[in-house]
Amino acid sequence: MSEAAIASTFDAVNVGDTLGPLEVNLSKEQVRKYAVACRMEAPRFMDDEGARKEGLPGMIAPGNMSLGMLAKLVTDWIGTSGARLARLGTTYRQPVQPGHVIALNGFVTHVEPAEKRVEVDVWIENEDGERLVIGTASVEFPR
Amino acid sequence: MATILDLHSHSEASEDSRAPLDAYLNWIKLRHKERPVDGIVLTEHRQFNAEADYRALEDKFGLMVLKASEVETDYGHVLVFGVTDEMTRRFDFANVRLSAQEVIDEVARMGGVAVPCHPGRPTVGLCEHYEKRPPLENVIAVEVLNGGSRKGEDERSQELVRKYGYRAIGGSDSHLVSLIALCATRFDADIRSIEDLVREIRLGRCEPVDFRPKRKPVAPAVPVEVAQDG
Amino acid sequence: MVDFDPELIGRVFEVTDPAEVTAEDIAKYCAAIGDANPLYVDEAAAKKGPNGGIVAPPSYAVTFRNGRHFFTHVPRYGRQGFDAGKDVEFVAPIRPGDKIKLSSHVKEIYEKTGRTGSMVFVVVRSTVDNQKGEVVAHIDHRFMNRT
Repeated sequence: MSEAAIASTFDAVNVGDTLGPLEVNLSKEQVRKYAVACRMEAPRFMDDEGARKEGLPGMIAPGNMSLGMLAKLVTDWIGTSGARLARLGTTYRQPVQPGHVIALNGFVTHVEPAEKRVEVDVWIENEDGERLVIGTASVEFPR
Repeated sequence: MATILDLHSHSEASEDSRAPLDAYLNWIKLRHKERPVDGIVLTEHRQFNAEADYRALEDKFGLMVLKASEVETDYGHVLVFGVTDEMTRRFDFANVRLSAQEVIDEVARMGGVAVPCHPGRPTVGLCEHYEKRPPLENVIAVEVLNGGSRKGEDERSQELVRKYGYRAIGGSDSHLVSLIALCATRFDADIRSIEDLVREIRLGRCEPVDFRPKRKPVAPAVPVEVAQDG
Repeated sequence: MVDFDPELIGRVFEVTDPAEVTAEDIAKYCAAIGDANPLYVDEAAAKKGPNGGIVAPPSYAVTFRNGRHFFTHVPRYGRQGFDAGKDVEFVAPIRPGDKIKLSSHVKEIYEKTGRTGSMVFVVVRSTVDNQKGEVVAHIDHRFMNRT
């Protein structure tokens, strides 16, 4: 579980609250494990040689894996509050390459009291601070 | 009195943005100490909403919201400030292959200003096109600071400014609420309208400003695996 | 402008055969994502939790089909295309024993230019159902094809 703050109740959440940052030292082995678990064993997800044959500079993580990691960032933040992840949208801007440290981040950007819903920006950045994946999530707290 | 504006931002109206306008303005209020902007310019992709009226939001947040557009041309993307009905009749903003020279000249003739954006970006920036084709004429300013730039891209844009004497602007190119106003443009003049903005860009009385936080150095990744891939 | 048959839009081009989900599948997925949340992997803890038993992490909903199957039905768009992103609405949890099927149609096709050149975007929308006919998720898969 993330060490960062957890959203205990809707009332405890404020615009500007952070999710993460969660640093992940993404290994090639982990990416392969994901590709096998999800039956997406395309060469670009298995090794550098396979990726190069597909015209990529090296092995990459599937977009779904980035989505899964960002979803985990949010569900970790939700913790045992009883809230649920209602929506997650992602845009893949640059490939996520294993063998690098990536940082998963989020900010609460909107709180909607009438619906007990919270909107969150989420993203994955590389060691240079470039945003590889960006997205938004909606979290609904119990009414 | 000086004015600072984020000249490049996308709300939910742009298909790849996830940012409602009110959330942008709320975020600016929250972060005003670090990002002291007086307002933003919405530069939606390939469209212009002439009817949209943001006065209620402007009053609520005490910030200015101006409207412009980001169009796509044969020399890359271009921000069009001072969009008029005449311009939207003359150019199909949804066309991804507009003539950049025509856009620059006709927009100027019709009272606006067209500013090539993220010129250092591959394919959709001026720098790469200038390597292969004659430079555009009558370019007044380019966007030298773009919040979505990757390593080296803004530096390439600055080279362009040095070589051709263009004026420089800055903008966040934000598609997420929390990224608004990370880069902006400072004007000497008091800007109250899109007409003021167009005039001041044309006169070159502006400079880009960078509100991005300084990055702490990150330790390089320690490889988990030693085995060769094959 | 991009040229395509407007009949494509909205027409369901595929309904998958139901795929059964096991607790083991869920555990493998959690290990792959690095998610040790007891609600997903610990039977006893999950029973006491809000779902009354083990459920899959929400993101598991995108692992059934990638939307890429669209391109086998409409080869006109050539290569499979790159995954440009997804928008997922999570409606109900997926549980062990569920038999999940997807029903997909093309939602939208549009063109734009970017770093890698001129691109056609195809948005495939999948509705994800379980064996009770309950909607589990809606997924918009965005694919980018270079022109």
